[in-house]
Amino acid sequence: MRIPKKEELLKLQAQYKTDKKIGQVLGVPAYLVAYWRRKKKIPKHSLPKYSFERVKELWETYGDDRKAGNELSISKAAFYKWRRKYNLLEKPKVLKLAQLEFTLPGAGRGKNRGLTIAQKGLALKIGKSGVQVGEIVYVEPDLAMSHDNAGLVIKQFREIGVTKVWNPDKIVIPLDHRAPAESERTAEAHRSIRLFVKEQGIKNFYDIKEGVCHQVVIEKGHILPGELAVGTDSHTTSYGCLGALSTGIGATEMAAVWATGKIWLRVPESLKLTINGRLPLGVYAKDAILYIIGELTVEGANYKSVEFYGDTVENMSISERFTLANLSMEMGGKFAIVPFDNVTKKYLKGRAKRSYQPIYADENAIYENEYEYNISRLEPQVACPHNVDNVKSIDEVKGIKIDQVLLGSCTNGRIDDLEIAARLLKGKKVHPDTRMLVLPGSKSIYLEALKRGMIKTFLEANCVVLNPGCGPCLGAHEGLLAKGERCLATTNRNFKGRMGSPESEVYLASPATAAATAIRGEISDPRDFLKK
Amino acid sequence: MLKEIKGRVWKLGDNIDTDVIYPGKCLPILDPQEMAKHALEGYDKDFPDKIQKGDIILGGSNFGCGSSREQAATSLKFAGISCVIAKSFSRIFFRNAINQGLALVQSKEAYDLLKEGEIITVDYVKGEIVTQNTKIPFPPLPEIVMGILEDGGLIEHLKKSLRK
Repeated sequence: MRIPKKEELLKLQAQYKTDKKIGQVLGVPAYLVAYWRRKKKIPKHSLPKYSFERVKELWETYGDDRKAGNELSISKAAFYKWRRKYNLLEKPKVLKLAQLEFTLPGAGRGKNRGLTIAQKGLALKIGKSGVQVGEIVYVEPDLAMSHDNAGLVIKQFREIGVTKVWNPDKIVIPLDHRAPAESERTAEAHRSIRLFVKEQGIKNFYDIKEGVCHQVVIEKGHILPGELAVGTDSHTTSYGCLGALSTGIGATEMAAVWATGKIWLRVPESLKLTINGRLPLGVYAKDAILYIIGELTVEGANYKSVEFYGDTVENMSISERFTLANLSMEMGGKFAIVPFDNVTKKYLKGRAKRSYQPIYADENAIYENEYEYNISRLEPQVACPHNVDNVKSIDEVKGIKIDQVLLGSCTNGRIDDLEIAARLLKGKKVHPDTRMLVLPGSKSIYLEALKRGMIKTFLEANCVVLNPGCGPCLGAHEGLLAKGERCLATTNRNFKGRMGSPESEVYLASPATAAATAIRGEISDPRDFLKK
Repeated sequence: MLKEIKGRVWKLGDNIDTDVIYPGKCLPILDPQEMAKHALEGYDKDFPDKIQKGDIILGGSNFGCGSSREQAATSLKFAGISCVIAKSFSRIFFRNAINQGLALVQSKEAYDLLKEGEIITVDYVKGEIVTQNTKIPFPPLPEIVMGILEDGGLIEHLKKSLRK
């Protein structure tokens, strides 16, 4: 390729800062950018340095990392790092005057300060025009979702001593995690759930036949734009693909929701993520979000609401938006919201059985941070063991031998996911030393795949097609890993021991990368198959 | 009333996830005593046997990230862990621990200052961790959270408020 001129490099550096990012934009490794830089005598980009005096003064003025960080336009965590560097650990005893400018009640609701989707959604639930970040609100959810762990929720619910659930119509229970029951213990739990839903008149119960809970909730129209959902599963954030506020909670907390219809929530800070550019061949929503998690880290959105914008997102289907919202949990997100638009409206036609009110952020909404990405030169991404932010480009990992490939789950088990994998596998066979499991997201997806001949393609390629559910994703049953084995999965977690032995490894990637990997028996670039 | 917790420190790393704390294969277990036998099994398979009543876990950042499984908190509590101190907690684990009545302390400084095996006292009234050599202050938990914790968890807290 052509070596960029000095002024071009300087321009790129001003925009993208690090060699790694410049390299990604140009499609070359970081060391090459570093080499060009040295040849052209461009120093490495360095962060603005803050003097001890400046940091000390701000610390003594505010005694608060967030406020002090605001002055320097850096995050709370970044200010803390500077403070720690200068060993300013103790809270200042006497604060300077600026600290006394405290926030008055009602601030943040004025004309100059707009609200985020999270603020508006929660305010609406308590009948107010606005709420402040950090405020604690008691709200009634529009949906309370549980899966097989409803067994534990029931046990806790009985413990509270209330006899009837607050609203049987707002409770949805699909059985998916260990379906059909893999053990006697699960069979007992399933039985207790079947009896409970009858006893309580819970109509929205989906037995083992239907599919993965989050997929079922979306398909059956149980959550709508602007609504609030809680679920006893961390990936409940997925419903943000329809512009809903949704988040995961534990079983005991769900028992309390069943009993009282209320939950306390802290109004979260929000992050604005803008993704622009056209996804290149062989690169998908999964690659985009894995890349972002790699940049923001596994706790980059902890306690925060993530809002997605940009032309890439606008052009995405609900299935792709689902993947974004689902995986946002892996950076700690409390909500992950793609604002309502025509794509959402079209998807909900015929599914929505009640009216809904979409929520948009104000133009001047206050975000804790805003990030912009251009994905038009992104490569296929792989999250390596044992953290989801351990993300690498395909070139860095290809060739690693893989024992099992898993296609499916709530993250990537929809028809478009199966379709791309079937396209690659058509007329080919899974490598003899590798096994491939296909796990459709729901019964309706399974049926559609059957109709379109994809299931035949998978079987002819020697894949094992499982019933819709979660099984292997969380190491519950159907395809656990032995000591030393490696799996490449389209799922959402690669924690140590997640899919079986603590000495096994899980890599996460897109359905296309999964199919390419299955064919070659080692991590492979799907573009090798798509170009032909 | 939650006042003082004294115990021995187990120092773990960053991003201790829920699969490491409580494996997915044990989720069908409903008895908390049985759950306790698997606490932190993924970190060290002998860990459940090493824990003594009152021990304190010291984690790095993002402790308890991952699944919504509250068994992660329940198993630690019933294994005898009296308190978890971490640089930061993952959102769902934080709520689950409080709802199970497992005391938490969020302290950025404690991780670097405390050593494995050290006996420390967590003083909730004064808001400080006391060791032989030093005192480390920590910020108080929100009022609502303290209320649940002091009642011994969400179930007891709810029962109490429903009686009123």
